[in-house]
Amino acid sequence: MLEHYLPIFMMILGGVLFGIVMVKLNEWLGPRRPTEEKLTTYESGMEPVRTARERFSVKFYMVAVLFILFDIEVVFMYPWAVAFRELGIIGFVSMTVFILILLIGLFYVWRKGALEWD
Amino acid sequence: MIEQILHSLSLFLPETTLTVFFCAAIIVGLVAGRTSRASLYVALIGIALATWFAIQQAGSSEGIFTGMVVVDPFATFFKLLIGMSAIVILLFSLYSAEVQSTAHRHIEYGSLLLAMTLGMFLMAGSTNLLMMVLAIELTSLSSYVLAGYTREATDSSEASLKYIIYGAVSTGLMLYGVSILFGLTGATDFYNINRALATGSVNATALLVATIMIVAGFGYKISAVPFHFWTPDVYEGAPVTITAFLSVASKAAGFALMMRFFKTCFIDANALGLPAGMWASLQGFEWNKLLAILSVLTMTLGNLVAVWQNNLKRLLAYSSIAHAGYMLMGVVVLSDKGLAAVLIYFIVYLFMNLGAFYVVMLVANKTGSEDIDTYKGLGYRSPLISVAMVVFFISLAGIPPTAGFIGKLFLFAALLDAKWIWLAVVGALNSVISLYYYVRVVRNMFLRDPERNAEPVVFSAPQVVIVLALLIPTILFGLFYSPIVELANASVVMFGMK
Amino acid sequence: MEFLGIGILTWITFLPIVGMIAVLIVPKENQSGLKWIPLVITGIQVVLAGMIYAGFNKSMAGINTLEGMQFVEKARWIDIQGVPWFGRIVVEYFLGVDGLSISMVLLTALISFIAVIASWNIDKALKGYMAMLLLLDTGMMGVFVALDFFLFYVFWEVMLLPMYFLIGIWGGPRREYAAIKFFLYTLLGSVLMLLAMIALYFSVTVVDPATGEKIYTFNMLAMMDPANYEPGSLLAGVGTYWRYLAYVALFIGFAIKVPIFPFHTWLPDAHVEAPTAISVILAGILLKMGTYGLLRISFPMFPDAANYFVVPLAVLALINIVYGALCAMAQKDFKKLIAYSSISHMGVVLLGMSAMNTQGMVGAVFQMFNHGTITAMLFLIVGVIYDRAHTRDLDAFGGLALTMPKYTGVMTVAFFAALGLPGLSGFISEAFSFLGAFQTHRMITILSTLGIVLTAAYMLWTLQRVFLGQPNEKWAGLPDINGRELFALVPLAVIVIALGVYPSLMIDLMTSSLNHLVEVVKAGGTMAMVP
Repeated sequence: MLEHYLPIFMMILGGVLFGIVMVKLNEWLGPRRPTEEKLTTYESGMEPVRTARERFSVKFYMVAVLFILFDIEVVFMYPWAVAFRELGIIGFVSMTVFILILLIGLFYVWRKGALEWD
Repeated sequence: MIEQILHSLSLFLPETTLTVFFCAAIIVGLVAGRTSRASLYVALIGIALATWFAIQQAGSSEGIFTGMVVVDPFATFFKLLIGMSAIVILLFSLYSAEVQSTAHRHIEYGSLLLAMTLGMFLMAGSTNLLMMVLAIELTSLSSYVLAGYTREATDSSEASLKYIIYGAVSTGLMLYGVSILFGLTGATDFYNINRALATGSVNATALLVATIMIVAGFGYKISAVPFHFWTPDVYEGAPVTITAFLSVASKAAGFALMMRFFKTCFIDANALGLPAGMWASLQGFEWNKLLAILSVLTMTLGNLVAVWQNNLKRLLAYSSIAHAGYMLMGVVVLSDKGLAAVLIYFIVYLFMNLGAFYVVMLVANKTGSEDIDTYKGLGYRSPLISVAMVVFFISLAGIPPTAGFIGKLFLFAALLDAKWIWLAVVGALNSVISLYYYVRVVRNMFLRDPERNAEPVVFSAPQVVIVLALLIPTILFGLFYSPIVELANASVVMFGMK
Repeated sequence: MEFLGIGILTWITFLPIVGMIAVLIVPKENQSGLKWIPLVITGIQVVLAGMIYAGFNKSMAGINTLEGMQFVEKARWIDIQGVPWFGRIVVEYFLGVDGLSISMVLLTALISFIAVIASWNIDKALKGYMAMLLLLDTGMMGVFVALDFFLFYVFWEVMLLPMYFLIGIWGGPRREYAAIKFFLYTLLGSVLMLLAMIALYFSVTVVDPATGEKIYTFNMLAMMDPANYEPGSLLAGVGTYWRYLAYVALFIGFAIKVPIFPFHTWLPDAHVEAPTAISVILAGILLKMGTYGLLRISFPMFPDAANYFVVPLAVLALINIVYGALCAMAQKDFKKLIAYSSISHMGVVLLGMSAMNTQGMVGAVFQMFNHGTITAMLFLIVGVIYDRAHTRDLDAFGGLALTMPKYTGVMTVAFFAALGLPGLSGFISEAFSFLGAFQTHRMITILSTLGIVLTAAYMLWTLQRVFLGQPNEKWAGLPDINGRELFALVPLAVIVIALGVYPSLMIDLMTSSLNHLVEVVKAGGTMAMVP
């Protein structure tokens, strides 16, 4: 039974390895010449004056949540696009319904004023 | 594959209807403006249509979406029950001061009720562990928000938060149990789980642990002791309409799922020599004893604690815990009679419990309080409503000639038939205890004089009509109960079970 | 016997419901209408009861045969088609009377009528009072004419709620406590009865003559026939553990109503707090339901267990008689004294039943009727004095015979009937009960006769304290009994004297039925002896 999961495991393994390899490659190959200026938090930005552990306005959360909500839909659309021809008209209708439902959500968010900052 | 999905969709019509109307409720509500009741009406139409479509499916028995969900008489029965209570709740909402005072959030109210109903429809038909968890989650998430609907009231927010925290814990436990069960059997489909367990190669201890964890999830939904801690606070804090909905529909859906889960997964399908309508638990795993303990704890604790309550909503919360205990007795006996008794009880419970909550809501609308003291002398200020309340309470206590008695009669009958005498005696004694706290309210209404203002309390004609619509079946089904018994007898049929 | 195509028993049972609806329609202000409607309704009930008495065939036995039942009405009430795992369920609307129930039907009609008269000066929420009283009336009458266990149970429970309200709203100072105590005690008994009823239901099947199908039934007559018990069912067989258990469950259910010794504590509270008319109904009718249930249900359905438990029953009867009398002796409250005397007198009924012979049974059933009339008189008498003096303290009175001569006359009849003076009805029934019991339980009966002595003692002592001796100045101006009160009391007094002189009027009604009942119980008992 477990062998059915082999591709998934391979995928996970590949993903993890890719991440590690990229970071480590950067570390090994890139030249490092630190100066005091370079070690500050924001090299060309503001001076950090207070602690980073501050309370954020709840509005940021709203934006973040909305972003995740509408971002995740791409995860469903990508495999659909790959198999578009095989799925045919049924697949097209299904995806349209899916996007319509999301659009209603967007409409709701918009009318409720969640997209306005103030 | 595609054909199969299309065919499944045709049997999925009630759920599809609910989904469409969920979207419609949002759009209509947004278009109609901030204070419109339009969403409530859309929800009402949607649920009525979905219930109608569910009734049309009566008699069909089929698994759809590759066995994720089934459409069978058992599921149809619960869809009918849930749909009916949702309709009644929406009618209540139109007259609820709490709901009407927050008109700008009617969109959420209507659409979330639709979503919750959808979740419960799915709970009624799930035959797959994944579908089961998803359906429970859809129901729970909607009800968390609805419990905190009147967010201006702090106790409503508190109720919602408690509900979420307990819900998260029990869902976590349930998911853990589900994953252990999957690990043990390698299947998420109920029927395959049963086949795997029947081979007898499964570790009994691990199975017991998994079952207890899954029962935690069910116990949370039906508010069985010791998973009941959220119930009193949530019932007290939530708007009365939502409390009533949780106490009937949510409980019914939980019971539907639990009964299906136990009956399809954990019975010995190959047991021989059983009388018609009796089942046997799997060899070496007598889960019904576990449920018997749960049942005794639930009804005894619910009743004993209810005696001390002075808030009517809280009193009814404990009473609903006790009723969950009574209904669990019907699952313990491992027979179609027991199952039918639970179904009968639910029909009866729908009318009497919704009726009691409705009266509480009407009185709270007028007086702003749910305290037992506000009921003093109500019998002289508003005779009709008070007499209705007496009938609902007498029915909840199980005294003839009300429908509640019929529910108890068939439960005890199933127990005695399976020779669970001690459990029947415990149940009978519990109904005597329950009478005490129901009568406390009756006493305040008729035996005490009103405290402050004694002018008559008048209710509008539609409100009285709703009371009568719940009152008449409560009495009528106590005297002529053939229809509900025949409906229940026909509805115990589960797909794929003999 | 039919009127408008509806049988006389249906009329007599449901007429009060019609009256209740009428009372609910009449406006609150119409006080006299609210009193006259119940009076007319219960009056018609008495007339109907008289017609039943006139048309009753004394030679038909009844008990366990449909042919022996009279004025039978039988119809399918609930008929649920069978499924493979759940047989067909049939509940019948099945009414009938035989020698066992006829006296109770007469008593119920009579006492209800008198209770309405006794309620004449109720002024608080009269409408609700009369509606509840009439609902109670239907429940009581239904219990005595129902021959289907389910129907019996429904009627039995229908009485609870009106009784709760009648004690709780119109009662004395501790009415709330008394009402809830009554309600809880009785419900405790009835749930045990319910369990026994369901067990019986699952054990008994009859064949439907129309289709040949096997159906489960609540028919009491079918439950009395051992041949109808399904082999292997819970209550099949003779003298089994389950049968004894079911008998005990039923017994507790009925014992609470009688009330039999350890379950009696609700009775003094309920009687003392209830308004006069309700005390009359409680003592006159409700207590009889317990013993009636034992005779109608426990004995013929469980003859083996009835024989097995006959000595404990006799011992309980002895305790009731002596303990009730001793308690009565210690009371200072007039009403409480009579309440305890009821416990003692119901003990005599139990003793007669435990005799298991015709003499004892006749004594028991006759005592049920007599106690109904005599105690009703006693409670009315207390009501009369309480209405005037607003106290029931026995020591507060004295020499009332001088100020209220007519009253004293009526009450003397009641008191002497209660203590069993020959020539009055109480004597006959007690004598029969003791004679019957003496043949079966010699020692217990001898001890029980102590109760008679004690009864005579407290009755005479009370008579002396209240009516004889030095007149108390305080009560010098008490008016004598008025016409309405006499109208309630005199018929009862006439009955008490008539039955004392000519007991056959009542006894002849019941002999053949009770003979048959004894045969049924004996036959079932001997079956138990032969394994």
